Amino acid sequence: MASNWKQFSTSGGIIVLLILVPLIITRTDIITWLYLTLLYIALSQSWNLIGGYAGQLNLGHAAFFGAGALAARYIWLHFGLPLPLAILGGGLTATIFAMIIGFPAFRLRGIYFVIGTLVLAEILRLVFYTILPEADVMPMKFLGTYSLVPRYYLSLLIAVLTVAAVYWISRSRLGLGLMSIREDEDAAEASGVNTQRYKLLAFTISTFLAGLAGGIYAYYSAAFRAGGLFEPVWTFDAVIIVFVGGVGTILGPIIGSVFFVLLKQILSLYLPGGIHVAVFGVLFIIVVLFLPGGLIELMTKFRKRTSVGEHLH
Amino acid sequence: MLEVDNIDVYHGDLQALWNVSLKVGEGELVSLIGANGTGKTTIVESISGLLTPASGTIIFNGVRLDKEPSQRVVQLGICLVPEERGIFPGMSVLENLELGAFQKKSRKVKDETFKFVYELFPILKDRSRQVAGTLSGGEQQMLAIGRGLMSKPKLLMLDEPSLGLAPLIVKTIFEAIREINKSGVSILLVEQNVRAALELAKRAYIIENGRIVQQGDATGLLSNEQVKDAYLGIGSV
Amino acid sequence: MIFQLLAQTLVNGIQIGAMYGLIAVGLSLTFGVMKILNVAHGEFLMVGGYIAFWLFTLYDIDPLLGLPLVAIALFLLGAAFYQLLFSSLARLHEEIKMKNTLLVAFGLFLIFPQVSRWLWTADERALTPAYSGESFPMLGVQCGYVPLCGLVVAVVVILGLHLLLTKTYFGKSVRGTTENWKSAKLMGINVERTYLITFALGTALAGIAGVLVGMTQTVTPDIGMPWTIKALIVLVLAGIGSVGGAFFAGVILGVIEAVSAIFIGPYTVALGMVIFLLILMFRPQGLFGKA
Repeated sequence: MASNWKQFSTSGGIIVLLILVPLIITRTDIITWLYLTLLYIALSQSWNLIGGYAGQLNLGHAAFFGAGALAARYIWLHFGLPLPLAILGGGLTATIFAMIIGFPAFRLRGIYFVIGTLVLAEILRLVFYTILPEADVMPMKFLGTYSLVPRYYLSLLIAVLTVAAVYWISRSRLGLGLMSIREDEDAAEASGVNTQRYKLLAFTISTFLAGLAGGIYAYYSAAFRAGGLFEPVWTFDAVIIVFVGGVGTILGPIIGSVFFVLLKQILSLYLPGGIHVAVFGVLFIIVVLFLPGGLIELMTKFRKRTSVGEHLH
Repeated sequence: MLEVDNIDVYHGDLQALWNVSLKVGEGELVSLIGANGTGKTTIVESISGLLTPASGTIIFNGVRLDKEPSQRVVQLGICLVPEERGIFPGMSVLENLELGAFQKKSRKVKDETFKFVYELFPILKDRSRQVAGTLSGGEQQMLAIGRGLMSKPKLLMLDEPSLGLAPLIVKTIFEAIREINKSGVSILLVEQNVRAALELAKRAYIIENGRIVQQGDATGLLSNEQVKDAYLGIGSV
Repeated sequence: MIFQLLAQTLVNGIQIGAMYGLIAVGLSLTFGVMKILNVAHGEFLMVGGYIAFWLFTLYDIDPLLGLPLVAIALFLLGAAFYQLLFSSLARLHEEIKMKNTLLVAFGLFLIFPQVSRWLWTADERALTPAYSGESFPMLGVQCGYVPLCGLVVAVVVILGLHLLLTKTYFGKSVRGTTENWKSAKLMGINVERTYLITFALGTALAGIAGVLVGMTQTVTPDIGMPWTIKALIVLVLAGIGSVGGAFFAGVILGVIEAVSAIFIGPYTVALGMVIFLLILMFRPQGLFGKA
């Protein structure tokens, strides 16, 4: 259990550091960069629960992020209710959409879930581009007093919450059940795991967290078009981060997010237009084909090799 | 004709065959006998090219087979009628047979081969338009064998043709197998039904736990005390 | 008057439905034969549209005449991608294979739009040969030349595919491989090559659909995913595994959309979702699938 304490204290230390950051650093670009990383940690970790641990490929995660973002935006900005309510409302809205797909799809073979989530995200995207075509802009009075710091703290809170939730689940009976479903669903069912219920539960939690992440974005963004919240890019980013970082691990999405946001900054400086997305696509395919464990696997292999070296000397 | 020489075969990480050797001579009817899970299917799948031995060689008429893909094995003249028939259930009897003659050179002579197969199994001709999945077990087995014959094999391997069939049908099928052998096709018959297999074959091999434990003349094995105790009491279901 | 409106709507619906069917069939074929759900299917449609556009704009080749060229180009492109990315996954156990091929196709879905935007810009491209806007009246209904050609092309291609699958040895080997790949191997069928050709056929079909889309709508780097989604809905409506049914389901969807556009206008996009959910809840095997 010593390593557990080590893990907890390291994480605690990092969180404390992160809390202190805005008090020490005033450069907005660094805080924005941290904010983005935390947003992606939350978004990707939420996907990791259903995609990584349960092995159910949700290719429409944007639907839940977007639903959460849109709901939170309306509750907070347009209806004037307190922010925490808005964020929660976002999470719940996302969950409602999840139920619409989840209930029918999880009774059937996995491919229906994949198709269902893909279709849902796309439909929502098209519908909202149609019914809310104008940009949702923060009114002057909000922009006047806009501070990055509360956005940062919100994203820190949600990111920590998401990581903690997924961590706790991964160690629980639910987590073990999910992993057994991922490995062999028929065998899991045969050994008494109620696969439909577990998948539904994981999906509910995953989408709730994604909805919260959407709330972070709604609070942060000065202006956006409603349809844009459901763009596939929100799904890709989450999926790429999880796979490149290490799918089905807790650290994977965290490391992946840091790597992703950094790489994105660098690439978008040197590459035209959206080519950096294509680069990520290639990277993603390489990971799927050759390095399924992502960066975590790479690091573990490297650590093994260097420690073996130590043993020999 | 066929020489399997000391092959070791693995399923993933698990070893299934140890030092297996067997021979089938031109025109012979040889049987491979053993209980469930002893490696019989592994042997014929290795010969067919579905599996690759980790060591050892398989030689057929002077050509080395063990590293060749399955389509090459069929081209060289070996055809396997798989366990559980392996027919194409959604396709008609006729289409199943046609696919048996997929190889270019068998395609050329398929009309002739059809005649032979229909003579052997007239019911296939009656049911030629019927969807294969709706045939009875025995009819499916006949279809599977007929399909195998369509490739004009020099060596026909049959994996447990009697499985799940009523004794009368098994008799019909085994008679057909004898006919096929008489027409010049060498046969490797894999069976759990020890008595029927030994009565049909000239020579036999007995496999246990992935190793060949006995071999010899079929009549000799039939009267062998060990074989009697181990197999002939429970073997003929 | 009402009759004329309905008849016109029906005709429009059938024409666009035929395109839906065409693209769905390609997807269904690939999934049915080798359990690869190519979510980048629409991307190949997009490439087909662009190739037709450039053939038309640079070399004055009528899109309909250029169809065979596009089909061949997309066949080769699909074969190349299959060999490069999917062939190594083909031997895996079915569940893992489905997942990993899905992910790889998802990766392609990220790459294609960006590359085509970089190559050809985001401008909308339309294929407008001389007879583009023209139509002729038939039984009181206006039939556009272009949509009619689209319908004819779709029907011809589907019939061709049907004949290929039922009358040729190759087609039968594809069906056999679908039903039992092990037995197919034992017949001397080169299953790996069958997969390759089937995949390439699927992308060729997508490319042909792309030409039709270019003629009846526009081509941009981003049209891939919406068309893939359409194909997926048709696939589920038809019943996963029913290749022939996919065409008819496409036509049915086209007609349903055209008719409901009269009543719910811009919300017609949501119809696909509704249909999808209804099928999932009440008839998962689709209209033509086996229970």
